[in-house]
Amino acid sequence: MTTRMGLLASAVLCMAIGCSGPGADGRTGTGKQAPPSDQPQSPERSPAKEPPRTIAVIPKGTTHEFWKSVHAGANKAGREAGVTIAWKGPVREDDRAEQIKVVENFIAARVAGIVLAPLDDKALVPVVKDAIGEGIPVVIIDSDLSFAGRVSFVATDNHAGGAAAAQRLGTLLGGKGKVAMMRYQEGSASTMKREQGFLDALQKKFPEIEVVSSNQYGGATTETAYKTAENLLVRFGELDGIFCPNESTTFGMLRALQDAKRAGTVRFVGFDASSKLVEALGQGQIHGLAVQNPFAMGNLGVKALVDHLAGSPVDKRIDTGVEMITADNMGQPPMQALLSPDLDKWLK
Amino acid sequence: MLLAMHGIRKRFGAVCALSGVDLRVLPGEVHALIGENGAGKSTLMKILAGVLSPDDGDMRLAGAPYHPTGPRGAQALGIAMIHQELNLADDLGVVENIVLGREPRRLGWFDRKAAVQRARVALARLGREELVDNKRIGDLGPGPRQLVEVARALTLDARIVVMDEPTSSLSQEDTEHLFAAITRLKQAGVSVIYISHFLEEVLRIADRYTVLRDGRSVHTGAVAQTSEPMLVRHMVGRAIDEVFPRVEHTPGPPLLSLSNVAGTRLPVNASLTLYRGEILGLFGLIGAGRSELLRVLYGLDPVRNGDVRVAHVAGRDAERAHDVPSPRATGTGVHGRAPWVRLAQGVGLLSENRKDEGLALTMTIADNLTLSHLSHGARFGFVSRAWQRERLRRWADVLAIRTGGPALDANAPVGTLSGGNQQKVALARLLDMDIHVLLLDEPTRGIDVGSKTEIYRLIGELAANGKAILFVSSYVPELLGVCDRIAVMHRGTLLPAAPVADLSEATLMTQATGGAKT
Amino acid sequence: MAAGKRTQDSRLTTVSDRLVRMLKWLGPFLALALVIALFAGLAPDRFLSTYNLKTVATQTVIVGLGALGMTFVVISGGIDLSVGSLIALCSVITAVALRAGHGPMTAVLLGVSSGVLAGAVNGLLITGLRIVPFIVTLGTMGIARGLAKYLADEQKVDADALGLSGLMAKSPDPAWLLVAPGVWLLLGLAVISAVVLKRTVFGVHTFAIGSNEATAHLCGIRVNRTKVLIYALAGLFAGLAGVLQYCRLTVGDPTTALGKELDIIAAVVIGGGSLAGGSGGVLGSLIGAFLMAFLANGCTLTGVPNYVQEIIIGAIIVAAVAIDALRQHRDSP
Repeated sequence: MTTRMGLLASAVLCMAIGCSGPGADGRTGTGKQAPPSDQPQSPERSPAKEPPRTIAVIPKGTTHEFWKSVHAGANKAGREAGVTIAWKGPVREDDRAEQIKVVENFIAARVAGIVLAPLDDKALVPVVKDAIGEGIPVVIIDSDLSFAGRVSFVATDNHAGGAAAAQRLGTLLGGKGKVAMMRYQEGSASTMKREQGFLDALQKKFPEIEVVSSNQYGGATTETAYKTAENLLVRFGELDGIFCPNESTTFGMLRALQDAKRAGTVRFVGFDASSKLVEALGQGQIHGLAVQNPFAMGNLGVKALVDHLAGSPVDKRIDTGVEMITADNMGQPPMQALLSPDLDKWLK
Repeated sequence: MLLAMHGIRKRFGAVCALSGVDLRVLPGEVHALIGENGAGKSTLMKILAGVLSPDDGDMRLAGAPYHPTGPRGAQALGIAMIHQELNLADDLGVVENIVLGREPRRLGWFDRKAAVQRARVALARLGREELVDNKRIGDLGPGPRQLVEVARALTLDARIVVMDEPTSSLSQEDTEHLFAAITRLKQAGVSVIYISHFLEEVLRIADRYTVLRDGRSVHTGAVAQTSEPMLVRHMVGRAIDEVFPRVEHTPGPPLLSLSNVAGTRLPVNASLTLYRGEILGLFGLIGAGRSELLRVLYGLDPVRNGDVRVAHVAGRDAERAHDVPSPRATGTGVHGRAPWVRLAQGVGLLSENRKDEGLALTMTIADNLTLSHLSHGARFGFVSRAWQRERLRRWADVLAIRTGGPALDANAPVGTLSGGNQQKVALARLLDMDIHVLLLDEPTRGIDVGSKTEIYRLIGELAANGKAILFVSSYVPELLGVCDRIAVMHRGTLLPAAPVADLSEATLMTQATGGAKT
Repeated sequence: MAAGKRTQDSRLTTVSDRLVRMLKWLGPFLALALVIALFAGLAPDRFLSTYNLKTVATQTVIVGLGALGMTFVVISGGIDLSVGSLIALCSVITAVALRAGHGPMTAVLLGVSSGVLAGAVNGLLITGLRIVPFIVTLGTMGIARGLAKYLADEQKVDADALGLSGLMAKSPDPAWLLVAPGVWLLLGLAVISAVVLKRTVFGVHTFAIGSNEATAHLCGIRVNRTKVLIYALAGLFAGLAGVLQYCRLTVGDPTTALGKELDIIAAVVIGGGSLAGGSGGVLGSLIGAFLMAFLANGCTLTGVPNYVQEIIIGAIIVAAVAIDALRQHRDSP
């Protein structure tokens, strides 16, 4: 193993994007020598002879499906705006030092701007300050950084996501019944916001629904969530509805319901999607999945940066939205695009 | 003419190893290759074995031009090397070792029957067929191991077998076995190139000889028409009237005394008193425990039992007195003492194994000379290079340490020196400290005749200066020539020492082989 | 060569001998110069920008400090696989100390001294139990990593850095320092280490143990004591690296520097260290660390993918060792 210092996305990739000829929308740049003449952003900043500007997009990791969607969204925005997207991240999603190096090297490479999904809300602050000091604007995506100097924070509004789940469950139950919520993990900011959003919305819109349990934590893995779910189901023989705030807790709960032969009888709303969960949705064992939009995260992150570079005002907070997928709407194209996006089109 | 090498030249960077060597070997003869260390014998043999290629010169084997492409090529042409350091796999048996790398196969499987047969034939040619039953070669002594190497060479259909110092670690008995085997080889038409420092052996076993000096072949002739003094004269380029110079010395009070000392395995029981100004020889077969006794004495190996006393020598410089950790250090030490304590007490050991233990070959000459007492020349923990150079200059003068270059380079790795000069550096390290009891383990092994004589004289002078010397050697003539008394070790037990005047080579061998106790 | 001019010849060859030795010494420098020249040619404005040079210098600090300690260990014929985990442990300890309300000095001292302690434990286990360093440090590698996670409660440790992050700030305060104070610390310690290694009794003893441990015993060197010191020294450097890693991250991260021990060993080997012991040097190791940092940085700036860079560094390691082996083969008769 050698230094896994961060790298630019391969030049090969960037060139391929730049040279791929007319894209689906026919607006793609034609090559690095000749920047697209129809580029709408700040023509005074890119004189005719200058190659396309590069925007760095730095994920938390490079292996998960989630980040591939982010990458595809960023590439789409890049093609539309005529900028090159440089994609590079640490291999492990806990390697803070590595991500700092990636940012540093992009600063040294004088990219036009950086879109960053920080692994840590504190550890990345100094290097983001460095970037801004060097005149490189930074847009934060996915999870926030405790630093106000960023251009914008583009991410799922988790509180609203939780509320959407409450809306779905409350509607299904007709505003009555006993509901349990199995939490994810102490200290996980995004899921805590979902849980809070769920409880807040339930209390406000469906005051007659009784939350019988909201203090059990499923823990980090499917394994632990499964055990907690089993215990919950034993303890509450009569439950009308259940909410779980992420993929692992949703799946753990699903398995426990299936074992107890209660799958389908209890109204169950989960968060995030995986092929197993979507299958259960089709079989009526899950009644709703709140799904984030990573494609939009990458797409809107790059767009926000491009707008900022063009001198347009950009919102400090951009919500990428949560969609509630149900057995009824899962066949529709927009939902299909979320569940199994055609990433290849944007990643080639 | 089986082998004809003519005008061979070879240089390594600064060193001109060979500058015109001729060597002619007849079929079925034992040809001795002799010369001081650094004369070029090993280089010449490496060229013959295809390890090195000559810069210049002509080689013919049985009339045909001989240009081996690497060691395997040479082997295929019938050249077999028996190395000083044996190349055997300890955990394998004799049969496996003999066929190693060329295992007979049947349907892809190791054909043990054929292997045993092949090994048996080869061993029979050496007259040691019984070795074929051995299952683990590590259990064999050095003599049989040597013969296994020779047998291995025979299975290669060797026409020339090169033996580099084959007897330096062999007992008298094993040497006899080896000679018998060589005679058989000769009768079978195989030529043997025999490299040895032991001139008596050369006179006994060889038919003809070639002498190398300073990278040239200076003389060649029939053994029958020469004598030991003549050979020595050719080798060193000057006459040595006396191989064992006597320096007058008289024993004083005891400096070191052992009573019933035993180590974890060897020695079993050793009692001894060593006097100031005395040279006490220690003889025995390989494995008798002589080196082990020295190691236990010096604290390299633990003492299991017994008592070692080192007398306090008055007049040792006060500066070093604080190195001695406690008053007890000068007294008994049942549990053994670490080497640094022994050094502080004035006991020093010269290792028999110069390459693996005696010297750190990759370190500089100056570092090796001062390694055991760096702090003497250090201030605030910083080593003084000037002090190191000064010490080296002094001992280079006294011991005549020489390198290939015009001046002695203190910063050259000690490994670039010849064996004799390396040994002088190791010895100088002891002498540069205030050492009163010198434990010398095979101090002249692998050293040329000229250097040996210098070391004999030095040992005599040290005794005359009041040092006590324990001199371990496998070479009876030098013990008889240098020592005042000799004690023989037999299977870990030290027999009482006797004055040299009462001893002969025969009596020592008898004691060493356990034939009779005096 | 003509015979008869031996003295002149040998004088000449002594000169060429010196040249060879100098080349060996210069090798890492040449490689570094080559890498810098290459990338400077490919991306001159970016690669040689002040910001980039500051960046590379800062990025080298952690591996560089580890390599200083590893140089001693490797020269003595040992190896320390635990250094990456020790960096994590010490950075967590520093963060935990800060979180508990201790001042920055106390926290740094705690971080560094736990490194020394852990290193000494390595040394004591190796000498006391007579287990080869590879196995001992393989074990302590896991132990230190586990301890770090335990102390950090399996999470990152948030603590106010109280100005410590300035030690690794690329734009230092005061500005006349030019590079992060951590870089100066690395360079200063490198000079001290080089002097200790080359000039002190301890340094020569380190070389002696690595060159031939049996000789070291024979010469009365207190081998065990020296080894414990060597590993404690390596722990000291790992501790410092851990503290600086905390300064860089501003959080104590128990999973940081995973696999870093191999980068550190690679730096030492590229710099001329032999895992057989007895050779190596502080300057070489430092150059090795800079070489790897420059290479990674240059590859990034010119858009060479990750895997190419890993292949290149792997090839450099093999080449460094092979050149040395060839030279030794040529030298020996």
